[in-house]
Amino acid sequence: MGGRVTAVCCTFVLVLLANGASAQQKIGDPPEASNMRLVGTSDLQARSPYQPTIHHQGDKWIAYIGHHGGTDDIPDPVNPMTGKPEPNGTSIVDVTDPAHPKYLRHIPGQEGKYESGGAQMVRICDGKDLPKGDRNAVYMLRAVGTEGHEIWNVADPANPVLVTRIGEGLKDTHKNFWECSTGIAYLVSGAPDWRTRRMTQIYDLSDPAHPVKIRDFGLPGQQPGATGAVPTELHGPISTGPQGNRVYFGYGTDKGGFLQIVDRDKLLNGPKEPTPDNLQFPEIARMPLSAMNGAHTVFPMPGMPIAEFAHDKDGKTRDIVMIVDEAIQNECGEARQMVWFADVTTEARPMLISSYTVPEASGAFCARGGRFGSHSSNESMAPVYYKKLAFIAFFNAGVRALDIRDPYHPKEVGYFIPSITAATDKRCVTIDGRDRCKVAIQTNNVETDERGYIYAVDRADTGLHILELTGEARAIAGLP
Amino acid sequence: MTRAWPVIAAMFLALGGLSTVAGYEMAPPRAAQWREIAWPFPRDGWPAGRAFRCGAAECGAEVEIYLRPKLGFCNCDSGVADDDEVDRVSDVDMISPRFAARKAGDVVDVADMHGRIRAYDLGMPKEKRIAIGIALSHRCDLMAVVAQGNGDAAQVQRATLALLGSEEITKWMTAAMEGSR
Repeated sequence: MGGRVTAVCCTFVLVLLANGASAQQKIGDPPEASNMRLVGTSDLQARSPYQPTIHHQGDKWIAYIGHHGGTDDIPDPVNPMTGKPEPNGTSIVDVTDPAHPKYLRHIPGQEGKYESGGAQMVRICDGKDLPKGDRNAVYMLRAVGTEGHEIWNVADPANPVLVTRIGEGLKDTHKNFWECSTGIAYLVSGAPDWRTRRMTQIYDLSDPAHPVKIRDFGLPGQQPGATGAVPTELHGPISTGPQGNRVYFGYGTDKGGFLQIVDRDKLLNGPKEPTPDNLQFPEIARMPLSAMNGAHTVFPMPGMPIAEFAHDKDGKTRDIVMIVDEAIQNECGEARQMVWFADVTTEARPMLISSYTVPEASGAFCARGGRFGSHSSNESMAPVYYKKLAFIAFFNAGVRALDIRDPYHPKEVGYFIPSITAATDKRCVTIDGRDRCKVAIQTNNVETDERGYIYAVDRADTGLHILELTGEARAIAGLP
Repeated sequence: MTRAWPVIAAMFLALGGLSTVAGYEMAPPRAAQWREIAWPFPRDGWPAGRAFRCGAAECGAEVEIYLRPKLGFCNCDSGVADDDEVDRVSDVDMISPRFAARKAGDVVDVADMHGRIRAYDLGMPKEKRIAIGIALSHRCDLMAVVAQGNGDAAQVQRATLALLGSEEITKWMTAAMEGSR
């Protein structure tokens, strides 16, 4: 009897070990995929990327990709095009033929490692769309760490020209937003005299060569001279422009986050002195998340028809905001960071209605190494996917495709976990005073273009993965 | 004569008592007797840490200290950059959302960690209390420490740093800061 019990126990332990071992990615393993297919890749010079933005300019499709700083091992990777080490900045890649992306240019960013360097965020506006822009120009706005923000003319993406710099000596910068039709830019900055690392500096960049400051904005308690508790720092806003008249701000990263809904007109035209009353004035509502979750991306989807409510006399369409938390700890060293859907139809009383996470057991993701959990979503509002499918960067679980047509019941319809390569950087945890490191894919950000291609980038230096949908997921988008 | 004995005895007793009081007041406080207490705050974004109390007799003032790791909550390169960061992260707001710094903070080193320390006046409803906030960094991780007491700031700060410098707490903080990168 004892022998049988021992045998059963040993078998159980072996199965567990085998599962753990099989979860670990190895160089040469194929990607893991469902309803998604790899089309092309770029190594991005083994630089750790943040948000990509894909822009259609002329007959070209260009990917602009911000980067974090370098690593302990390689602070300034060598740019093969110049032969020189350069601090991570912005990669510009021609993705017109997504099967054969062509790396055009690297613009160096700020010296510094990981989140302390690089030029993480990038937004693009055509000069012809901006009220006072040069019609022949294509403007790239990028955040350059504590050095502030820069605007480049990338009409010739292989030969960008610096137009102007905005701000300097900031505590930090991050996930900006730029309205191309008005030029209003919401720059995530850390003004030196504010009590927070990240707040909003609003500029009129309708003439990118001549930035005009409108105001500083943040939460009461963050402003200069305040005392007492300091509210959670900003991660990033998304504006619906003058038509929607709303700006959605996501605060927090993986803790104490919330969604703030702001009246854009009051924000831009209301009293600007950063007093508690003036900062409160444009706020319509603030919806807290659990103290264990933050809000990296808040993606608005107003006026969604809900099939289930089609025969209801009221509330057939709902205003939805998708909220994506950011996981920051390796190997599940924190509460799960995931995706939440909020119904903000009654704006003063927003309510969480559903959530989504990758099932951990589906890939033993806590044991794979690196971060597991969500980070960000695509932010393109192009019709091909808007209000139909959302793509979520989920670190070691790759990119996940969600059917969001019924946001009360989001459903995963596809995923792609890229293979690791020799460039993929390790991720470590400390156990008994020693580093224990593993190598795993760390899909950090994702974006889509109007053609339906999906661009996933890997924080652990593996590069850019250009994907397309197949099967059921492709049918949802109506793609041929 | 027999009537004088009780008076003399009372005088000796009184003098003895006074000298005892004087001796007590002049002597340094006894070695701090910290008692660990239950974490007194509701759950928030971070797991509970450890809490300790020291009485007025031992620490010169009633002092409570709360400390906990906040893994991944610090800039990996710049560490605890300024006093604003101490205001934000050291958990002073757990005690009261209304607090005001008494003056600029100072740099501090504890258990091989570098950070900043700052004293605050707490806006408590019934009494005036002070708090000492400390933020210490180790790579990308942070140790948040806050102490509150009814003594003067220097007294509470001395008691706080003494506890943090003890072998037991130093070992615990080092082990608790095993994060990821």
